[in-house]
Amino acid sequence: MKGLIFSIKRYSVHDGPGIRVTFFMKGCPLSCWWCHNPEGISPSQETVEKVQKAGGKEFRTLENVGRYITPADVLAVLEKEKIFIAESGGGVTFSGGEPLTQPEFLIEALKRCKAGGYHTAVDTSGYSDTVTLGKIIPFTDLFLFDLKHLVSEQHLKYTGVSNELPVGNLHFIIESGKEVWLRIPVIPGINDDHGHLEMLKDFISGVGNGRLKKINLLPYHRIGTSKYKRFGLPYRMQNTASPTPARMKELKAYFEETGIKVKIGG
Amino acid sequence: MILSERIKRLREQSLNAVEKLSPERAQLITQFYKSDEARGLSAAVLRAKAFEYLLRNKKLYIGDVELIVGERGPAPKETPTYPEISLHSLDDLDLLDRREKVSFKVDAEVRKIYESEIIPYWQGKSNRDRIMNLMTPEWKNAYKAGVFTEFQEQRAMGHTVLGYKMYRTGFLAIKEEIEESRSKLDWMRDEEAFAKNEELTAMSIACDAIIMYANRYADKLQSMAGSEKDPARKKELEKMAEVCRRVPANAPATVHEMLQHYWFIHLGVITELNPWDSFNPGRLDQHLYQVYSEEKKKGTLPDEELYDLLGCFWVKFNNHPAPPKMGVTASESSTYTDFCLINLGGVKPDGTDAVNEMTYILLDVIREMRILQPSSMVQISKKNPDLFIHKALDIIKTGFGQPSCFNTEAIIQELLRQGKSIVDARNGGASGCVETGAFGTEAYWLTGYFNLPKVLELTLSNGFDKLTNTQVGLKTGFASDYTGFDDLMNAFKAQLQYLIDIKIRGNNVIMKTFANWLPAPFLSLLVEDCISNGKDYNCGGARYNTTYIQGVGLGSITDMLTSIRYNIYDNKKLTWKELLNATERDFKGFEQVQHDLIYETPRYGNDDDYADHHAVSVFEMYYDAVNGKPDSRGGIHRINMLPTTCHVYFGSVIGATADGRNAFKPLSEGISPSQGADSQGPTAVIRSASKIDHLRTGGTLLNQKFSPQFFEDEDSYNCLTSLIRSYFAMDGHHIQFNVVSAETLRDAQKHPELHRDLIVRVAGYSDYFNDLGEDLQNEIILRTEHEGA
Repeated sequence: MKGLIFSIKRYSVHDGPGIRVTFFMKGCPLSCWWCHNPEGISPSQETVEKVQKAGGKEFRTLENVGRYITPADVLAVLEKEKIFIAESGGGVTFSGGEPLTQPEFLIEALKRCKAGGYHTAVDTSGYSDTVTLGKIIPFTDLFLFDLKHLVSEQHLKYTGVSNELPVGNLHFIIESGKEVWLRIPVIPGINDDHGHLEMLKDFISGVGNGRLKKINLLPYHRIGTSKYKRFGLPYRMQNTASPTPARMKELKAYFEETGIKVKIGG
Repeated sequence: MILSERIKRLREQSLNAVEKLSPERAQLITQFYKSDEARGLSAAVLRAKAFEYLLRNKKLYIGDVELIVGERGPAPKETPTYPEISLHSLDDLDLLDRREKVSFKVDAEVRKIYESEIIPYWQGKSNRDRIMNLMTPEWKNAYKAGVFTEFQEQRAMGHTVLGYKMYRTGFLAIKEEIEESRSKLDWMRDEEAFAKNEELTAMSIACDAIIMYANRYADKLQSMAGSEKDPARKKELEKMAEVCRRVPANAPATVHEMLQHYWFIHLGVITELNPWDSFNPGRLDQHLYQVYSEEKKKGTLPDEELYDLLGCFWVKFNNHPAPPKMGVTASESSTYTDFCLINLGGVKPDGTDAVNEMTYILLDVIREMRILQPSSMVQISKKNPDLFIHKALDIIKTGFGQPSCFNTEAIIQELLRQGKSIVDARNGGASGCVETGAFGTEAYWLTGYFNLPKVLELTLSNGFDKLTNTQVGLKTGFASDYTGFDDLMNAFKAQLQYLIDIKIRGNNVIMKTFANWLPAPFLSLLVEDCISNGKDYNCGGARYNTTYIQGVGLGSITDMLTSIRYNIYDNKKLTWKELLNATERDFKGFEQVQHDLIYETPRYGNDDDYADHHAVSVFEMYYDAVNGKPDSRGGIHRINMLPTTCHVYFGSVIGATADGRNAFKPLSEGISPSQGADSQGPTAVIRSASKIDHLRTGGTLLNQKFSPQFFEDEDSYNCLTSLIRSYFAMDGHHIQFNVVSAETLRDAQKHPELHRDLIVRVAGYSDYFNDLGEDLQNEIILRTEHEGA
């Protein structure tokens, strides 16, 4: 059994507690306008041109984006990072893309990681059939749940899918008793208007019965822009600027009124 | 700590003072050597009397608001020379005066004094001349080719640190100790009794000299107090006079006395000779803590006064640039820093957590003073609290380069392996850059850097050095003669052993020049067992004696060997002829080859055993070639792995190499990967670096680059703390966080191939800097400028 990933990140310190290894899995049913990992959208291997300099000259080479790994490969990487993970209370995170698009691999990898004593996290948009989600819950210690927009039409417009399934799944995970950190991207002009912020706050206050431990406010950033060019994808946010640090602080204070810990960034 | 007006002023004065060459010491030492007083004396007594002459006649300096007194020269940053060790020529003086970096102003008067008094007397008679006359042609060839450097050709042996004992005694008690040792001399059976008696006499003269010097200050302070109009300053001057009257003759009883006590000792050491690493207060938080607690209990030391004293003390170090160097040494150690490294934290002699209130006070001082000297480090034990590391990270994140982080448990194990007692090991630490030592009991001399990649270059050309056009190494064959990778490695090993033996033979001769002509009776008072052994520090008098040769370029040579194995032998991507064609032309017209060597070949620093195991092989060969060989003062040769700035000089004597490095470019530094070779993040670098056995060295240096955004919040601090603790759990010796500046980021835009390892964090995500678009790169540069300030 194999999973398709586009990147493995060691010393990943913003995808759950402690020092982690994050596996970025390829394939995502969403196509968020602000996506900073566009290489994670397509569910198949791709080839892109890479430019490297040597001796003042530029060399263009074709790079394969996406490679198949087995759950045993996952364990082998964790084995190398064991000491850092143990020392920091870290673990492994499956992110993407949308990791739930590769359920068989994900379940097997999570199972093996749990058996190996590692803390497991899944970073998901929640867009998955609930049965699959139910299968991974027993092997997942923490969900990093990306909540993008509470108005379904808006969700559809900016991510390509409506939000009933993700929101339902969020409730489902919370009911299961697993720890959830809510990750809210702050996208100027898309989900940061006062009305929507109020909706979010009400939603957060009403959900979870104290099982929601943390909110991460992820400020929109243009980090993915150059990747869009490389992948030949259109970028629809050319004119959007990042929220200012002052604005992020303001939002942090706003959401802290829910009584839940809020952090800017992952 | 809030800097008082006094400290702000002293700090400004120190920062603004221009480095200037002072002829004072050169004149005094020349006068003394010419005088009748200097005739017919044993070397030890001669040097003691010279020391006494210097301290009796050198000018006193008392800055208008300072609380701690004493300067090596006539004023801050006025730097003396040591013509008996190495004599600056007029050309050297002109170069010092006009060179852009690390310059020393030499005015016409000084030049004249050199021309008429100093040069005529010392020409051909300095220890440097002596050394050069004694070295073999093989040594000279290797030295010229840049196979190794030689520390002792222009500075004296130093590399030691004040230990526990001297903070708790005074020179009057030391004199009694000397007489006790003298009374035990066995004139019937000990053939060295006479030499020992002379040495003890010299030591006693040195004790009197330092007390006399402090009294000169006391007298001057007293007379200044008499005529001082400002009542507050008058009181200070009286107090200072009183302090100088008490120490260093007696054991210090207050913080003020302890700092002044140390400072007189420091000045004594750097006036007697120009030892490497100047001198070092060592475990300052441990030493100060007791007197501080007592004063605090009594209520005699208000916080403002404490911080003023510490601020004054800090400025003193910054007033003392390293003495002006010349020749190769000037290019390999191009800095004003004199490597005085204050140690904080670690464990107590009984093995328990040593972090105390004074540790945090001193971290505060380091942060607020923010000056080049003294340098500082934190000794991190598994027993120290995380808060200690977090406080250090607070300073590190500002990009100041201090403090660096050391592994207490590794230091202790390194020292135990070398045969030190557990208490001596726990009282130890690191000095200079990263060098392990037992403070107050060990003479651990660094003798020179050793250019590992140069040995490989020689191995590929039958031992012949093309740059100097000389046969430097053995004739083991040419690259294409080697029948396989193992064959090449065997030849490399033979070359390495041959060249190390040349270096060691040189060391053993050079050491004897110091033992015979330049004993250091004052320094000998400070390092334990010199007195009871009746032997000088420079003759093996210390309890422990170690001689180091510092290996340089581990990352580079690992990449070179990996590349040869990967491209020529294992995958046959290149023939020797193709590779040598490309390197001989510095890759001009062979850019594709260079690209493949850089980007398509495994490299050290990515936790890839294919590459990393070559680091281990080279390390083991180097260790075998050096470790355990006796030196000529009863000590043992050992290795450490650190470069200071020598990787730049060593790179400048090596042509283009198999790792894709252009000719004459710098080598990798310490045990860090080559610039830009690591692309898997800090944990992979740490894993690679821990594959060599740090515990069999006397120190290794690992430099890790981070952008300031990695220090942004408590979670980041916790992860960095875990990263450090993990490296140390794997026996890593030292790690230093280089927080990148906007300047580095700009360079990365221009030369991405040199900065492949540069990871930046941007608002919740992080990525390789190289992979970002230019507009975003610019944005991060702006932010880094802002946050790094």
